[in-house]
Amino acid sequence: MSTLQLNVNGQNYTVNVNNPDMPLLWVLRDLIGLTGTKYGCGIEVCGACTVLIDGQPEHSCVFDASSAVGKKVITIEGLSPDSSHPAQKAWVDNQVPQCGYCQSGMLMSVAGAMQAGHHGSEILSEVKNLCVCGTYQRIRQAVQHL
Amino acid sequence: MATTILEPRSEKSTQHKIGRRGFLAAAGGFTLTFLMPEVTRLSEAEGATPGQVNAWLTIGSDESITLTVGSSEMGQGSFSGLAQILAEDLMVDYARIHAVQGGPTVANPAPVGTAINTVGSSVTRTNFWKMRDAGAIARETLVQAAMNQIGDQTRSNYAVNNGVITHTPDGVTRTYGQVAPDAAALTPPSTANLVPDDQFKLIGKTVPRLDIPSKVNGGAKYGLDVRLAGMVYAVIKHCPSFGGTLASTPSTPSGMIAVVPTKVIAGTNRGAEATGNVNAVAVVGSSTWDTWQAAKSLRVTWNLPASASTLNNAQFLADAQALLTSATPYVAGGANPAGTLYTVESIGSANDAIAGSAKSVDVTYSLPYVAHACMEVLNCTVNYVAGLSCEIWAPTQSAKAVLQLAMTLTGLPSGSITVHTMYLGGGLGRKAEVDFVSEAIQVAMAVNKPVKLMWPREEDFTRDQYRPMALIHARAGLDNSGNVTGWSYRNVSPSILGQRGAPLGTKGDSQGIEGAQSLPYNFGSRLTEWVSHPSPIPVGFWRSVGASVNTFGVESMIDEMAAAAGADPYTFRRALLTDPRWIAVLDAAATLGNWNTPPPSGRARGIAIGTAFNSIVAEVVEISQVTTTSLKVNRVSCAIDCYLSVNPGSIQAQLQGGIVHGMNAALYGKQNFVNGAAQAKNFNQSRMIRLQEMPQIDITIIPSPAAASRSTNIGGVGELGVPTFAPALANAYFKLTGTRVRSLPFFPAATMGGL
Repeated sequence: MSTLQLNVNGQNYTVNVNNPDMPLLWVLRDLIGLTGTKYGCGIEVCGACTVLIDGQPEHSCVFDASSAVGKKVITIEGLSPDSSHPAQKAWVDNQVPQCGYCQSGMLMSVAGAMQAGHHGSEILSEVKNLCVCGTYQRIRQAVQHL
Repeated sequence: MATTILEPRSEKSTQHKIGRRGFLAAAGGFTLTFLMPEVTRLSEAEGATPGQVNAWLTIGSDESITLTVGSSEMGQGSFSGLAQILAEDLMVDYARIHAVQGGPTVANPAPVGTAINTVGSSVTRTNFWKMRDAGAIARETLVQAAMNQIGDQTRSNYAVNNGVITHTPDGVTRTYGQVAPDAAALTPPSTANLVPDDQFKLIGKTVPRLDIPSKVNGGAKYGLDVRLAGMVYAVIKHCPSFGGTLASTPSTPSGMIAVVPTKVIAGTNRGAEATGNVNAVAVVGSSTWDTWQAAKSLRVTWNLPASASTLNNAQFLADAQALLTSATPYVAGGANPAGTLYTVESIGSANDAIAGSAKSVDVTYSLPYVAHACMEVLNCTVNYVAGLSCEIWAPTQSAKAVLQLAMTLTGLPSGSITVHTMYLGGGLGRKAEVDFVSEAIQVAMAVNKPVKLMWPREEDFTRDQYRPMALIHARAGLDNSGNVTGWSYRNVSPSILGQRGAPLGTKGDSQGIEGAQSLPYNFGSRLTEWVSHPSPIPVGFWRSVGASVNTFGVESMIDEMAAAAGADPYTFRRALLTDPRWIAVLDAAATLGNWNTPPPSGRARGIAIGTAFNSIVAEVVEISQVTTTSLKVNRVSCAIDCYLSVNPGSIQAQLQGGIVHGMNAALYGKQNFVNGAAQAKNFNQSRMIRLQEMPQIDITIIPSPAAASRSTNIGGVGELGVPTFAPALANAYFKLTGTRVRSLPFFPAATMGGL
């Protein structure tokens, strides 16, 4: 059992893990209770688990929670307090989500690309998250003005 | 903005006495109960059973309007569509409707089977008139209550606008909330006038979906997001091979709570997965990750059936090839085992006509097993209190089946069981099954704690109930003028209905042959046959079901016939079609896809048309950059006739999604088997397209009629983008390369790299 201090969405959390290499995804979901970050593949192929760590999009399904100590983790719940991030607004305006399961990760990837200075259609080449519903066309529309 | 609540809710708090079509006093307002017809894929029956109640409209004295719906929301938007239809005839702003997820047990005592199944692209099309009537009847009852209060019984002296009833002679108003308590005492009319089609404010208009705001901020709760106080976590580990059973129960690993063997329950048995087989163990622990790691390293000994060595692709294909020529015809009253040949349609003598034709086309198409691969893996959470209650949270398309299964497993009466339908992270037909629910209930009964059971992605891929493989032999005769003289089509595929114990009747599996019968082509003579393939690999309903298989066979074959006749594929189809609606859809797709204008250099187009769930869809697919491992889909132009359109924006989204689903399957989708074990275990071995590969998709919706008729079937939308994509792609590929692809997928060796 080891104790980790994590900063998630601006709040400090103390979590006890049996195994320090428990991926951040499961710490967020099972121990902290932030379920907006999703499990899709567990092998860094689908991107449903994407969060920002010190501003960088990372795949929390393979990111050891212990490696997030001392860093700032932002999940979909912390992207904005009121769904007001430009990408969130564009997602609603363009009615992007279908089942919605991949969209937390999709939005975090888009937010990360924006944070890295990408705008509009430049974002399209940065975002490789998988969407089985096939919302890609509306994503393409939605990022145009970001 | 209206809101959707998919949080767990206490069914027991609803104490209304609910009768058929009655208003009932409810918390200072009233409730209208009405019936929604049920579609089951087994029977395709679309009828309501008296006494079943599965949708509720409550109007509160606080002006709240609450619609409780039993169908499932898996991204198709039908939940919002029902609210939109209701609001039209209730004459209220759509944003005022508070849509709430219902379960199968809202009434107390709970009638069994009150949640509708969410299958067959059915929710909107089969509930359109029910919702309209419910809205109109509620509105007129509220107006009657207002007339009683105001003292003028002349209906024409009242106008209704957004839930406000105005007595026009003097301007006195009553809101719905003000008259709701009085309305509760009235007997509603059995019918009421609907809003005329030319005065629609909502139906046919794109309105925002109710569930989307919660899907951009992490707030939407899917099955896998359920968390209960004191909950433990279970991770399933199945025998890798279908048909295998547990040899002995492993001891509980250090740090874990239990290892629970789970068995196949009657009704969830499929193919080699026989009732009673202990085919899995669930490891139970205190977190998903730790439990999953323990499950991965758990050593389990399985007994494999002697037949396991025959459960491989080569054997399946050999069996199918033998049945193409040697199947035993159906015998009335006979045993008709797997391998039986069913004649679905026979008009004239197709064999003679083809044999005597100037030209003939004789080809075979092959389709693989394909997994569903919903983004959200299978999961279910259960809180079982021995002998007292069972509460279930599941991402299910079949809340009714969940309830019935829970009754069977626990022995509890329905009133002691609560089913919460959570948001589905994709359903695609897989979450109409309840095998994963069965496992979760079994584990909960064993550990006596609230438990969330998860299938890791690898279990989700390898223990699916797949789209059936198919081997299709198509033959046609043509005269020297290119007229078709005869058509013969034989599909050999494992039976979805047969694996569910449904009697197949004289014409075999209706799901297996859908998309290949009653085709409005002038074939002269025709012979349509279906043969049940004996493969015991579990098969199931996969978005668009048989249409996704047969439309590939039929529309590839039509293209080959056009080539044999030296005709343009579009004009050849157009001349052969006999149904003006099909011709209009074909024309619309051809126009949208610029069929009569040559494509840019290096590109080619293919066209296909088909039907499913009462809708007609045609697609023109434009491709380029063909290599041995890839191609580029530049553009898809799609036209649909679904008779009437409720929310065009949702229709566009669903067709875009269906086209992507069809594209993933046509290009890459397959599941192979070795010794009964599925080989593709995760997305890296089952490629799908990413954002950068998305073609431009354009859509034409054939306009709704000026006045819709109850006697014309409304078409479905959710699955309709899928069937015509694969043949249109194959037809474009032939045009571009001269090579005819008759075996799916196009790129069976494709893999998907990491992010």
